[in-house]
Amino acid sequence: MKIKTPIITLLVGVALAVVLLISSMSAVSAKKAALAAASSSAAASAPAVTASAAASTAAASAASSAAASPSASASTSGSFVIPPHANYDGEVQGNLGAVALVVHDTFAVAYFCNGSTIEAWFSGTPDNGKLNMTGKGAASAGATLTANYALGHARGTVVIKGVSYVFSIIAVHKPSGLFQSIANVRGATIKAGWIVLANGTEVGSLNPDVNAAGSVSQAAPKLDLSTLTADDGGTTITATAIDAETGTGLTLG
Amino acid sequence: MAAQWGEPAPTRQERIQPDKSARVLVIPALVGCIVALTLGIYGRLHSPTGVAVDVIGFSSPGTVKAWLATGAVIFAVVQVVSALVMYGKLSFITSPPWIGTLHRWSGRIAFIFTVPVAVHCLYALGFETFDTRVILHSICGCIFFGVFTVKMLALTRKGMPNWVLPVFGGLAFALLVVIWFSSAFWFFTTFGISK
Repeated sequence: MKIKTPIITLLVGVALAVVLLISSMSAVSAKKAALAAASSSAAASAPAVTASAAASTAAASAASSAAASPSASASTSGSFVIPPHANYDGEVQGNLGAVALVVHDTFAVAYFCNGSTIEAWFSGTPDNGKLNMTGKGAASAGATLTANYALGHARGTVVIKGVSYVFSIIAVHKPSGLFQSIANVRGATIKAGWIVLANGTEVGSLNPDVNAAGSVSQAAPKLDLSTLTADDGGTTITATAIDAETGTGLTLG
Repeated sequence: MAAQWGEPAPTRQERIQPDKSARVLVIPALVGCIVALTLGIYGRLHSPTGVAVDVIGFSSPGTVKAWLATGAVIFAVVQVVSALVMYGKLSFITSPPWIGTLHRWSGRIAFIFTVPVAVHCLYALGFETFDTRVILHSICGCIFFGVFTVKMLALTRKGMPNWVLPVFGGLAFALLVVIWFSSAFWFFTTFGISK
């Protein structure tokens, strides 16, 4: 019986899909194997990042010597590849703000803000693709962030003062990412965070006095990405990138 | 005069053609639904990997998909125009004899272009709901393959009502355009047009 040509069209499509699916699966396992091989050869040169200046130079040199291969063991979890270094950011569901997540070996930093009064900084230790982070600093006390992250993608929930923000975000690269500024402005210590999304949009909040118990956050001034500076009511503040690829900014306040 | 009447001309022995009925669509529609649901459920349950097979010559998986999708839409436009000519809707164009072949082949090429895009989308990104654009894309993507399946299966059946092909063909085209707008168009306007 002659098979009709539309059926052939459908079958060709299905066959192509199967071939691509199989090669995608082997591409993912090849990537896992490459990461595992690189990590075992570079494991000896992985320094433990300790504090401020020493940390950024040590991390920078480790990052440059192991540019293509991560300096900590990569791992796998099911069909996931868990990268040792990754930056993620994106909007949370419901148009309620944005979140950024930076994972670098044993350090993870995250930031949520809605571009005005709600923001929180988080720190935590990555655990094979899982994160249970708590609020860092007095202003973010009580906030939590739980997430699962893998190559290219991270998912989780932020809870601040009883309100949950669900997110499903993608890995991002320069110039997108997370930026922070801690400065002394008009006698008070301010702390600002900016999340630059993959589409170039900037969301940022600023805490005008981190040491004052009832300090209310506000919208951060626009960050100039070419100079990494912003103007806070006449005072120029400088921002640092918190970036997993270079290992910078992870031990800031 | 004994006229020798020959045998009467044979009458057509076929049954009177049964009315065209939409009942012939039941099985194709069922298959189409299964296809759409399978894609959606796979996309939702499978944890996206963020990575799939790379295609050489393009700067990133995003550009590969955006260009393939754009190619599919271009061939789909050829599909629609050739269909209009075949149905005599473009009165200023006389339907050339190769129009049917053009229609079928442009359709096959458009479909084949969409397959790698869909595989990458489902495998690396998954069925996402974090904003309206991705919800629209995810849903229309699944339905598109269901509709296309119905259209292909409907072509193999006799006794189909006349509205079936134009409706399903038009629906497939409309869905593809929505899919393209919620992905390739967004991609090109966000990241610029590049290879």
